[in-house]
Amino acid sequence: MRIKDYSEMNLQDLDVMREIGSIGTGHAATSLSQMLQKEVRITIPQVKILGYDEAIEAIGGNIEEIVGATLVKMDGDINGLMLFLFNLEFANTIFDKMMGISYAGFEQMDAMAHSALTEIGNIIICSYVNAFTELVDMNISLSVPSAAVNMLGAILTVPIAEYGYETDKLMYCSADFVIDGKTYNDWLLMLPDISSLNRILEKLGVG
Amino acid sequence: MDRQLKVGIGDMKLTRGQGEIITYALGSCIGIAFYDPVLKLGALLHIMLPIRQNKDDANLLKYADTGLAETIRKLTAFGMVKSRAIVKIAGGAKMFEISGNANFGNIGERNAQTVRQILQRDGFHIRAEDCGANYARTMSLDVATGDVVIKTFGHPEKHL
Repeated sequence: MRIKDYSEMNLQDLDVMREIGSIGTGHAATSLSQMLQKEVRITIPQVKILGYDEAIEAIGGNIEEIVGATLVKMDGDINGLMLFLFNLEFANTIFDKMMGISYAGFEQMDAMAHSALTEIGNIIICSYVNAFTELVDMNISLSVPSAAVNMLGAILTVPIAEYGYETDKLMYCSADFVIDGKTYNDWLLMLPDISSLNRILEKLGVG
Repeated sequence: MDRQLKVGIGDMKLTRGQGEIITYALGSCIGIAFYDPVLKLGALLHIMLPIRQNKDDANLLKYADTGLAETIRKLTAFGMVKSRAIVKIAGGAKMFEISGNANFGNIGERNAQTVRQILQRDGFHIRAEDCGANYARTMSLDVATGDVVIKTFGHPEKHL
């Protein structure tokens, strides 16, 4: 195996992942656009390898901030996790455009709203993974989505603890969605385990 | 409250007399508070995984086994008496539930079990705990009083 830790990825590896991230996020934006019946653009994706504290910093800096998250597990040729994180502003935009409602806080949301957010996250993750699998010609099966609304710090420890014996780092890909000309922050984390990451890089000819 | 010490992930802080030791957003991780009321000596440890498997890993405080050993060693050096020690633990939540995959995210429960076993083996009695469920906890220890406060999102504040 070529790479033993995310932090061993070189610039070329990161470039490849950025390119894939760009294609995946592009597809995710298309899905979102169809759902909202609005123009959705994306900013240029960034791929970073970050430790836990740096990831918190990159995502907003407040470890206790309440965020929404959808998590899907990948199995098959690639094992790992997909995690989509969004803040209240993003959630409200979706609700406003789809149903004409908005909430003052996550705690006001009912089961219906939570379920809608889970699905949005799921659709974004699935379009991302579909684009990805097409490109690298690999089979990935996805679990049913699981959602949580809770402190950012605790949600980010889920992948960290899951791979805690392998690595301290996360690969973090972010591209902001631009809906109707306004930029919204959201974070999509694709977290293949290390052996899957090696397979991806090999498949793309950089491994 | 004149000073506040922040404990990160895989981290431990201890202090004496007065002040507050706090660790934020415990998910599947466990926060373990030790307090000796006579010395007003307190420590808060934040572990992430049960057992240190890789012996080259220098971060002892990341794991329950080595983290607890290191914390107890330090506290003993500061004069803590085991029979007086008040131990309280919190965390070990399961943040995501994936249906059809019961094993996923069980790390919190394994963490809690390991911590309990080690404390019991070493002769520490757990005075109070707030573990499990599916939400994050922020845990703080007031070193002047030994009061442990658990703050969560959407649940009332709890004193252990």
